[in-house]
Amino acid sequence: MIIAHVIAQTDEPFVRWDWVGRNLDNLWAATKEHILLTVIAVGVGLVLSLGLSLIALRWRKTYTPITWVTGVLYAIPSLALFAFLVPITGLTLLTAEIGLVSYTLLILIRNIVAGIDGVPEEVLEAARGMGYTERRLFTDIQLPLAMPVIIAGIRIATVTTVGLVTITALIGQGGLGFFILRGLQFFSAIGTTQILAGTVLSVALAVVADLSLLGVEKLLTPWTRRRVVG
Amino acid sequence: MITLTDVTKVFPGTQQPAVDRLSLDIAEGEVVVLVGPSGCGKTTTLKMINRLIEPTGGTITVAGQDVLSMPAFELRRGIGYVIQQIGLFPHKTIRDNIATVPHLLGWDKSQTAARVDELVDLVELSPEMLDRYPGELSGGQRQRVGVARALAADPPVLLMDEPFGAVDPIVRANLQDEMLRLQSRLHKTIVLVTHDIDEAIRLGDRVVILSEGGHVEQYDSPGEILRDPANEFVADFLGTDRGIKRLSLIPISEIELDPGPVLSRSATSAQAKEMMARYRIDWALIGDGGTIEGWFQRSDLGEHPDLRLVATRRYHDRLEPTASLKEALDVVVSSRTSVAAIFDGDRYLGIVTIDQISREIVQ
Repeated sequence: MIIAHVIAQTDEPFVRWDWVGRNLDNLWAATKEHILLTVIAVGVGLVLSLGLSLIALRWRKTYTPITWVTGVLYAIPSLALFAFLVPITGLTLLTAEIGLVSYTLLILIRNIVAGIDGVPEEVLEAARGMGYTERRLFTDIQLPLAMPVIIAGIRIATVTTVGLVTITALIGQGGLGFFILRGLQFFSAIGTTQILAGTVLSVALAVVADLSLLGVEKLLTPWTRRRVVG
Repeated sequence: MITLTDVTKVFPGTQQPAVDRLSLDIAEGEVVVLVGPSGCGKTTTLKMINRLIEPTGGTITVAGQDVLSMPAFELRRGIGYVIQQIGLFPHKTIRDNIATVPHLLGWDKSQTAARVDELVDLVELSPEMLDRYPGELSGGQRQRVGVARALAADPPVLLMDEPFGAVDPIVRANLQDEMLRLQSRLHKTIVLVTHDIDEAIRLGDRVVILSEGGHVEQYDSPGEILRDPANEFVADFLGTDRGIKRLSLIPISEIELDPGPVLSRSATSAQAKEMMARYRIDWALIGDGGTIEGWFQRSDLGEHPDLRLVATRRYHDRLEPTASLKEALDVVVSSRTSVAAIFDGDRYLGIVTIDQISREIVQ
């Protein structure tokens, strides 16, 4: 609505390329910050999820409570979460990451557990029958075979996080979200330009991250592509 | 080589033992087949040997060692294991699949590589398969890889759980033959589980027939079991055609061959007709000693006073003395002459008639 209003009221060009030219350094810095926030969130989320998944796989009864708790975290509106956290942890990176990480957990845990559960029973039986220890079975057999499903989870978590990072701009940790937030304060083409710059770069980042992870998956799971029928 | 003493398995939450005080002795180098209807505890018994199922009671020793005296993973690395679904690792190449146990045992690279080459040769896989993934192989090829993988560290004992259950009948027969060929070279101690009595008879040096609760109904050579079933359960399980099944275990060389209606060229037509009457047939063979020219029918005699000019037909339905009586029976019922002629190479040995075969069935 605001954008439409701005456009209707001015004779200025829709996009102020001169602003873009002047702010290349800032955009690049914000992009790097955005990437960093995302990588930390997905990285920490992955480590936590692996730990929680191991617990859920080892003690099956814990799986329902774990998905319940992470499900609630996932359902909390991000604005509300930050509003709740800021009085405790301040306008810090920590606050941002607590929020971002908690949104990755449900997706990652579900995919890790589903991936491990999807390993065929006969493969496990053969492996045990030949003398695999449980630990080696997990690292050599279960984890690699679960990889396509796990990476699918990482892709969803990453794309979601890239989008969510723009919201953390509200607590001063926004990466590209900074431009969107500031753009909203200008009733001019400068504002529109900033909103567009932040949005386009954020979307581009999500697409690049998704495609890179797809590439990583192909690299890590060569057996999934070589199949002969019959 | 493997001894089970009063082995019992009660699964949690059940009253009835799946296996109840089973005792069994398996000698080194023999193939023992556990066979029985579903629920007889055959697979449970097999899996207790490598402790994929932990026994509730009793003792199991392999090569004199109590299986409980070492960690399960160590025990299993010394015992080959083949299962019906094969369970190849889909994310590893065939080479790495075969090298599984050497890898677990920490063999060095060159030793492992040499062993893999040897095994590929042994199970007659083409070496170009080595860099493929299991998903790219046919069912029969995968089965071979499964066997190669089980044999990789040259374990003295091999456990096979319905190893040929997942392939079609033609491939199965081939794989069974191959297993027998392999075994004649390797002399492993093999325990094999199947629900297929024909497979048990074909592969087993001895067969254990189990009924519910792992109760041994009979433990003997296939020939003995077929000749003299211990009780009604065994007889029922063998089926009504057990006499014919037994024929597949008896080589032709074990029975005394009939010399057959062989006449020399100098014989008269009257002698030929007399011979045909004696055998109650309408044909005869022309030959001398160990060589046979061919056969002719009564109608071929025509006006010939003797056999000098009688035309003969080539004898096609010939069997080697190593063939089984079952194969002889097939020839007898399908050939025009109603007998199977036995040749050792080109040398004629005699014939097998339906009377001789039925005498063996009755015995």
